[in-house]
Amino acid sequence: MSFFDYHHFPIYSIMVLFLGAFLIVMFGKNKAVRNTIAFLAVSASLACMIALVKPVMLNGEIIAYWMGNRVPAGGYAIGIALEVDQLSLFFGLLIATAVFVSGVYSLQYMDRDDNVPQYYTLFLMLAGGVIGLVLSGDIFNMFIMVEILTFAAVALTAFRNKVYGALEAAFKYLVVGCIGSTCILTGIIMLYAQAHTLNFAQLAALIPGNMNNATKLAFALLYIGFSTKAFIVPFHPLAADAHGAAPASISVLISGVLTKSGIYGIIRLTYMLFQTMNLGSFQFLLVFVGSVSMFVCVTMALAQHDFKRLLAFHSISQIGYVLTAVGLCTGLGISAGLYHAMNHTLFKGLLFLAAGAVLHETGTTNLDELGGLSKKMPWTTALFLVGAFSISGLPPFNGFASKWMVYQATYQKAAETGNIGFLLVTIVALITSVLTLASFVKVSQSVFFGRLPAKYENVHEVKPGMIIAMSIFAILCVLTGLFPGFVTKNLTEPAANAVFSAVRYIDAMMGSGYAGSVMGDNLPVVSTVSFTQVGYWAPVSWLLILCIGLLAVTIAAVLGKYDRVSEARPENVDPKYDLFWGGEASEFSQVGGGDLFWGFKHNWRHYFGFMHDLHSGVVNDYSLWAIVALSLAVVFITIVL
Amino acid sequence: MTMVLSALEYLGYILIFPGFLFCFFVGLLLAGIDRKIVAKMQKRVGPPILQPFYDFFKLCGKETIIPAAASKTTFLMAPLVGLAGLVVLQMFIPIHGWAAFSGTADIIVILYLLLIPAMATMLGGSASGSPYAGIGMSREMVTVISCELPLVLVLLAVGKVAGGDSVTFSFSVISDYQLANGSLILHPSLIPAAIAFLMIIPGETGNHPFDTAEAETEICEGLLAEYSGAPLGVFKLAHAVKLLTLSSLFVALFLGGVGTGIIVIDGIILVLISIVITILTVSLVHAITARLKIEQVFKYYWTVVSGLALISLVLAWYGL
Repeated sequence: MSFFDYHHFPIYSIMVLFLGAFLIVMFGKNKAVRNTIAFLAVSASLACMIALVKPVMLNGEIIAYWMGNRVPAGGYAIGIALEVDQLSLFFGLLIATAVFVSGVYSLQYMDRDDNVPQYYTLFLMLAGGVIGLVLSGDIFNMFIMVEILTFAAVALTAFRNKVYGALEAAFKYLVVGCIGSTCILTGIIMLYAQAHTLNFAQLAALIPGNMNNATKLAFALLYIGFSTKAFIVPFHPLAADAHGAAPASISVLISGVLTKSGIYGIIRLTYMLFQTMNLGSFQFLLVFVGSVSMFVCVTMALAQHDFKRLLAFHSISQIGYVLTAVGLCTGLGISAGLYHAMNHTLFKGLLFLAAGAVLHETGTTNLDELGGLSKKMPWTTALFLVGAFSISGLPPFNGFASKWMVYQATYQKAAETGNIGFLLVTIVALITSVLTLASFVKVSQSVFFGRLPAKYENVHEVKPGMIIAMSIFAILCVLTGLFPGFVTKNLTEPAANAVFSAVRYIDAMMGSGYAGSVMGDNLPVVSTVSFTQVGYWAPVSWLLILCIGLLAVTIAAVLGKYDRVSEARPENVDPKYDLFWGGEASEFSQVGGGDLFWGFKHNWRHYFGFMHDLHSGVVNDYSLWAIVALSLAVVFITIVL
Repeated sequence: MTMVLSALEYLGYILIFPGFLFCFFVGLLLAGIDRKIVAKMQKRVGPPILQPFYDFFKLCGKETIIPAAASKTTFLMAPLVGLAGLVVLQMFIPIHGWAAFSGTADIIVILYLLLIPAMATMLGGSASGSPYAGIGMSREMVTVISCELPLVLVLLAVGKVAGGDSVTFSFSVISDYQLANGSLILHPSLIPAAIAFLMIIPGETGNHPFDTAEAETEICEGLLAEYSGAPLGVFKLAHAVKLLTLSSLFVALFLGGVGTGIIVIDGIILVLISIVITILTVSLVHAITARLKIEQVFKYYWTVVSGLALISLVLAWYGL
C-alpha cells in the first residue's frame, strides 16, 4: 500500500490532529506558526474524511485497518484496529466539518485570550479524541479516546477560568464525566471477562452466544457511560454549565461533536454489539429517554436568561429527537435520527458561533442586558436567524427536513404497532418544535431586535474570519434543507444500512465467513433500509414558488411606492421618528428576556417551579442522579432484555 | 413551446388563481363582510363591504415612517414575506381534489408554513424596537403555542382516518379519501375535531376574543404599533388573507367531498363556504365576546379545544 492509499486515511485523520497538538506545544509561541499548524491540522483531517466518501460511503467498502499489520491470528483479534464503515464515516464527516469550522472561527475569536497555545493543544486533542472514537475498531481504544476527549473538554470548559462559574462547571463535568468513564471501563472489563476479546467485530460476533446477566450488566454500564457523553437526561444540567462557561468555539465541539460521540456509542452498542437482544423493549427505553430529554430541555431552555445556557439546553433537546428516532428501530427512524444528528451539528454550531460573536463584541450573553444589536451586527443577525429558523424547523431549512422525517417515523411506528405511546411521542415532538421556535423568538427579541442599550452604542460587527466560519455552517444548513433527497440517498441511508449490517461489519474485520461460523443460529439478517414516506415535501419547488411570489409582491410594492419611506437622518430630526412610549419612562417599558412568555409560564408555574427546585446546581445531586440512572438502567436492562 | 405554456400556466396559478389576485379579493371581501356583520349585530350601520379595499389603497398612499430605533430591512421585508408565505400556502391546499402544486407539501408542512406569517409579524414588530411590539410579540407567540397543540391533534386525527392502517400526512390521500367516501366531517369520530378546528380559526387569525396580541385599547396594536403606510396595509391584507387560508384548510380537511369537479364552480363554492365559516367563527364570536387575558387564551386552547381534538384522535385511533 502506498503512502497515499486511502486505506491509510482513517489513521491520518486522527494522527494529524494529535500531531498538531504536540507541534503547537513545541512551536506555538509564535501566533502565525500556531495558526498555520492548527489550520493545517483541521483541514488535513477534514480532507482525509472527504476523500473516504467515495470508497466507503458510495461504494460501500468497509475499511479494516490493523495497526502494524497485526491481523487476527488463531481466531483472536489482539492488535489495535480501526474500522470504518458508513456509520463511522458519517459521524467522522460531521465531526471533521465541525472541527474545521470551529478551528477557523477560533483563529480570530481567541485573539483576546491568554495562553492560546494551550487552547489549541487541547482543542486538537479533543478533536482527535472524538474522531478516534468513531473510527476505532476496538472497544478499549474507544475508552481511551473517551478519556482523552473528556479531559480535554473539562480543561477547555475551565479555559476562561476568570469567568464566573467556569471552574465550577468544569468540576461538575469532571465528576459526572468520570462516573461515566468509569461505567464504560467497568462495562468493558465485564465484556472482556465474558468474551476474552476487546475487538468490536469479534465482540459483536461472540456476545449473542453469551447473552447472560453479566453481559446485560455490561450493556447497562456502557449505555449509561455513553449517555453522560451525550448529556441526555438526567445528565443535561452539566451541558448547560459547561456551555455557559466554555469559549463558543468549544461549545460548538461539545454540542456538535461530543454529544454525537455518545449517540454513536449508543447506536453501536444497541445495533452492533447487542443486536440479538430484545430490541422491542430496549427501544422503549431509548424512545422514552429521548422524548423526556426533548421536552424537559426545551422547557428548561424557555426559562433561561443566558444566551449560551439557552442554547445548551436546546442542544440536548435536539439530541432527544435524535435518540427518539434512532430508538425506533426502523429504517426511516434511523435515517431520520442520523439526518437530525447532522443538522444538529450544523445549526447548533452556527448558533453557538453567533452567541460567541455577541460575547466577543459586547462581553456578555445575558439576555436581560442585551438588545437591538441588529443595527450594529447585521451579518451576525442574519446568520443567527438562519440558525434559529433551522433549529425551529421552519421550512425550507434543514431542521424541518429531518424533524419531518422524525414525525413520520414515530407516527408510522405508532400505526404499525398500534401503540398509542408512539403517537404521544409524535405530539411531544411537534410541540417541542414550536416551543423551540418560541425560545428563539425570545433570543432574537432580546439580543438582536428590541431596544439598543446605550452602553452598546459603540459595538461593531465581528471580523470577517468569524463571519466566514458562521457562513459555512449557514450555507450547509440551507443546502441540507433544500436537498433532503440527496442527503438521505448519499449520507443517511448508507449509514442506516450499515447499522443493520452487523454481519458485514464482523466479516470485514475478522475475515469473510467468520460471523456465520461463530454465530450460527444467532446470525442477524442483513437488511437493506427501505422506507416509504407518508407525505410530500419538495423544498426546491416550494422555494421557487415562494421566490416568485415574493418577487411579485415586491414588484407590486415598489410600484405602489412601498420603498418611499421617510427615515430619521441627522438633518431632519423630528419626534415622529421616535418610538411611541405612551407616556411611560422608556427605561421601564422594555420587557426583559426572562419575562417574555408570561402567559405560557403562568399556566405552567408549578411545573417550572418543580424544575427550578430540581436543578439545584449542586454537584452532589447530579452525581446522585447519575447513580440513580445507572441503577434504574441496570434493573430495567437485566430484567427486561 | 409547451414548456413556455406550462411555465405561464404555473405563473397564472401563482399570480391569479389560487394565488395573489384571488387571495387579495376574497381575503379583503371576507374582512369586509366580517366588519359589516359585527356592525349589524351591534346595531351600527357599519362600513361598506368594500371598506377594507379602500383602507388598503388609502394606506398605500400614506407616508411610511421608519422609527429611528428600527432595523430597516427586517422592518420593511417582514410584511412582504408574511404575505407571500401565506399566499404560497394557499396554493398547496387542494380545492375538491385539485391543487395547483400537488406533491409539494403535506399537512405537516402546512402546519409549519402557518408559522411563517406569524413569525414574519413577530420579527417585523420586534425589529421596530417598540416596547409595545415586545409585549405584542410575546403574546403572539403564546397564542401560536396555544393553537399548535389542538392543531397538531386535529391533523393527526385526520391523517389517521384518511390513511387507515397506513397513516398519512399527504393532502392528496386525504382529498382522494373524501372524494371516494364523502366529506370527513360526516365521519363520526372527526366531528369533535372539526369543531376544534373551527375554534382554532379565531385564535390563528388573531380575532376576538383571542386578539390579545393586538389589543388596540391596551397595547396599541402591539406588533403593529410602529407600522404606518404601505407596510401596515400589507399586514392588514395578510391578516385578511389568513381568514381565507384557514377556511380553505377547513374545507380541504373536512368538506373535501363538497364540489363538482369543475374548478370555477368549486372556487365559487369555496368562497361561499369561507364566508359562512368567517361569519360563524369570527364575526359572531367577535360580537358576543370580550377579549381574554393571554393566560386564559392559553388555558382555553390547551384544555377545551385540545380536549375536543384529543377525543377525535383517540376515537380515530381505535377505528370508531
